[in-house]
Amino acid sequence: MPSTSLIFQSIVLGVLLGGLYALLAAGLTLYFGVMRVVMIAHSAFLILAAYLAWYAHRETGIDPLLTLVATVPLFFVAGVAMQRLLLTRLRPATLTMMSVLLTFSVALTIEGLLGYAFSGTQRRIRLGYSSAGFEFLGARIAAVKLIAFGMAALALLGLYVLMKHSRFGQALRATIQQREAAQLLGIDTDRIAGYGFGLGLATAAVGGTALALDTTIYPSLHWHWIGPLMAIIVVGGLGSVPGAAIAAMTLGMLQSLLQLELSTTWAQTVFYVALFATLAFRPQGFFGGRLAQRF
Amino acid sequence: MRKGSELPLRAGRLRTSTLLHVGALLAGVAVALSFPSMAPSPYEITVGIAILNYAVLSTSWNFVGGFTGYISLGHGAFAGLGAYGTGLLVTKAELPPFAALFVAAALVAALAVPVGYAALRVRGASFVIVSIALVLILLLVFQSWASFTGGSRGLVVPRPFPGMLRSEHHRTFYFLFAALLGVALLTWWIIDRSRFGMGLKAIREDEDKAQSLGTPIFAYKLVVFVVSATFTSLAGGLYALWFGDLDPVFQFSILSGAYMVLMALLGGVRHLYGPLLGALIVGYALEYSKVEYGDTPLHLVVAGLLLGVVVMFMPDGVIPAATALLARFRTSGETSIREVTAAELKERHGQGNGTDESEVRNSERSGSGG
Repeated sequence: MPSTSLIFQSIVLGVLLGGLYALLAAGLTLYFGVMRVVMIAHSAFLILAAYLAWYAHRETGIDPLLTLVATVPLFFVAGVAMQRLLLTRLRPATLTMMSVLLTFSVALTIEGLLGYAFSGTQRRIRLGYSSAGFEFLGARIAAVKLIAFGMAALALLGLYVLMKHSRFGQALRATIQQREAAQLLGIDTDRIAGYGFGLGLATAAVGGTALALDTTIYPSLHWHWIGPLMAIIVVGGLGSVPGAAIAAMTLGMLQSLLQLELSTTWAQTVFYVALFATLAFRPQGFFGGRLAQRF
Repeated sequence: MRKGSELPLRAGRLRTSTLLHVGALLAGVAVALSFPSMAPSPYEITVGIAILNYAVLSTSWNFVGGFTGYISLGHGAFAGLGAYGTGLLVTKAELPPFAALFVAAALVAALAVPVGYAALRVRGASFVIVSIALVLILLLVFQSWASFTGGSRGLVVPRPFPGMLRSEHHRTFYFLFAALLGVALLTWWIIDRSRFGMGLKAIREDEDKAQSLGTPIFAYKLVVFVVSATFTSLAGGLYALWFGDLDPVFQFSILSGAYMVLMALLGGVRHLYGPLLGALIVGYALEYSKVEYGDTPLHLVVAGLLLGVVVMFMPDGVIPAATALLARFRTSGETSIREVTAAELKERHGQGNGTDESEVRNSERSGSGG
């Protein structure tokens, strides 16, 4: 039985990790909401953003956090372009299946290009404050992990404010809830859906930069992220942002606690166990509404 | 009246097309079976085996993908399980190789039931998520559980015919793979013409309507999922016996599942030979690029772009695309009969002849022009 301080440390680490999961899962939920698309390439863009942060840091020595200024708008535009130019051109009848394949092919392409440009070598950013940390009630917390969590929390908060308190957010939520009704109210749902997609991809930019701070990255890393993320959105109930956030926190913490007793790889299986259990016993997820029951 | 006059004609057409089909089929089988004796070196036979393996995998995938329209990106998991199941049963349980192959397939079929149960209870999106998760979880398990599976060091499967020369070994497995492909194609063909297949295709077209018409959609989907997993596992097991060396990274690779989808989609998921055709094209290209360019990350880019192009521009595959192109050249391309008189229509249907049709059109056009 591990000591109490160790357990406490795991819980703190789980919360910090869960924040990042929650942000990324919110992005996936947005795509699903606006277009009923399971965006496999989400985590590939995540790794792409991490590589961009690492590359900018290596070439110019700037702080990886500064790359956000460039990557967030860039990813937003890429998301809008991807929705407008690729996904809307698929046949509506087979959209769910074909969009999976299309985003899968985007993921493969990004992975291949990353491998080609930067080789398969594992990369890591070394910062002045990489090893900095502090004690908190007996738990030792690395500063970079806290910064990553702070970024994720800020981005999530920004997303929440945008969704709840702006006209665009209202239009976006209306589009997600009832597309036809939103159209009748004069909302240009196609444009809004495009922006929603861009917003989802922007979360990958924030997440990727946060990831680059304290993780070793390599091109095929995105497969280790997409599995847990998809498990999170299913457990939370497809299309539910609060559900995804709660599932992200819970599963992140469980993973962190399991790492005390098991190896890292075995601990990761908790996501898949949760996924299968959810689908077998409560297929609409734990917080999903009407939407989740049909997909 | 009109139907009556058309019937003998249609029967005649049917007979010629059946004859053509059988002829083409026999020719294809003859070419496939004589390939090993015509191949200049054992290397070509190994390429042939690789392509046949892809064809079996892709045809197996098409039981789910083609009939029900559910796209599984994780069928590589069943191939990997079949391969590891066979290998482990041979090395740990000391079963005879081909008994191990079938026992492993039975085990995979048994495992496919709960997996399918979880995956198929809701519609498409969750199915895809489960299929990908299955590959990822199995990769984790088979890499971590090194004491049992050999982990990243790999698992060596003893050859099933110890006394056999290498070239003879390849030749034998070429025919084994061809036989498995034959069985898979035959099963697909039988399901395609059965009431069961009709129900599956109804699910593909409109699941809600199929359900309200009384199709037991969940049972149908589950059964065909298990059938598909079983064939995939047989292909994987046969591969293990042939190749003799397994590595989790290649056996539980998301890429191998993607190749199955790409091949089936490229050839055409609604056609019996679609996956086979796709396997011939993609499989040959894969083997060729492996020799010419080695293993670079660019093969991911090529696979990704190719999949994207197929999804965007010909989601029904090359067979329908080519047929549509041919049909454009062959017939008048007329979709409206608004400008055609009833008498003309009757005449046209009575003759049913391409040249007359175009003549009618030409005279029509010159008439309206003058």
